Amino acid sequence: MAMTGMAIALIEVCKGALMGVPNIELTSFWIIMFTLFFGKKILFVIPAFILIEGCMFGFGVWWVMYLYAWPLLALLTWIFRKQEQMLFWAILSGFFGLFFGALCTLPYVVNGSFNGGIRSGLYAGFTWWIAGIPYDLLHCAGNFVLMAVLYVPVKTVFSRIKKIRP
Amino acid sequence: MTKAKKKNGKLLIGAGILAAVIAVFAVMFFLFRPGTAQGAKAITIEVVDNNEASTMYDVHTDAEYLRQAMEDAEGLTFSGSEGEYGMMVDTVNGVKADWNVDQSYWGFYINGEYCNYGIDTQPVADGDAFRIVYSK
Repeated sequence: MAMTGMAIALIEVCKGALMGVPNIELTSFWIIMFTLFFGKKILFVIPAFILIEGCMFGFGVWWVMYLYAWPLLALLTWIFRKQEQMLFWAILSGFFGLFFGALCTLPYVVNGSFNGGIRSGLYAGFTWWIAGIPYDLLHCAGNFVLMAVLYVPVKTVFSRIKKIRP
Repeated sequence: MTKAKKKNGKLLIGAGILAAVIAVFAVMFFLFRPGTAQGAKAITIEVVDNNEASTMYDVHTDAEYLRQAMEDAEGLTFSGSEGEYGMMVDTVNGVKADWNVDQSYWGFYINGEYCNYGIDTQPVADGDAFRIVYSK
């Protein structure tokens, strides 16, 4: 329980600290690392994180995206959990950042479809995704670099913690 | 070939695929990005506040995107938080819209249609009529 609380606090603190830098975030990094090292506990961390974000910033459209984007990252991490090389996780994290905008178009497609049919919804989603591509590229680069820099030291610390508190 | 070399090879292929997808995304952006026009433009920006009072701004600007055009509008003030996709405007002319408090927000319209883009990526063309409306 304490570990789960610490994990949520760490994600929130890092998110707050990097708030002024568009699309450079450590949430992806921490979700990957927590899934790798603390396995099932991530099932408590992600819903709590999403709920706290909603309470802090409002339950807008972006919040709907969080409901599936972060669990998807944890699921992908769990599927590839046997991978140990830093480059693998940097690539995965980079891909996640790159496709974050595309993932987030879903509510816009649904909303647009309700208002003007499926074609209108797809158009709304497509234009929204295209406009955000420069931010997605930044997100990809940020995720890749942060994972490349932090993976080894954090892995070392987490491995020690796991030995003390398996 | 050793197991480690094979693994490294696969990772390099993965890195190559990532680079290729980045290139595809960049090409997609340049092909389909919202078109902007350079040079002088005359546009209007109407702000409708929480009391439904309207203030009209006639703006002469070289801006390609709405954010800069708003900055060029004399007397118009705005602020917000830098989000994942540019500035999320929460305050216009000193009036704050707070979704958390009363589900209010500032809605942006171009020529009568709801803006598909944020203010950092919404293109500006000569003759455009923008509306910024306090909505609940």
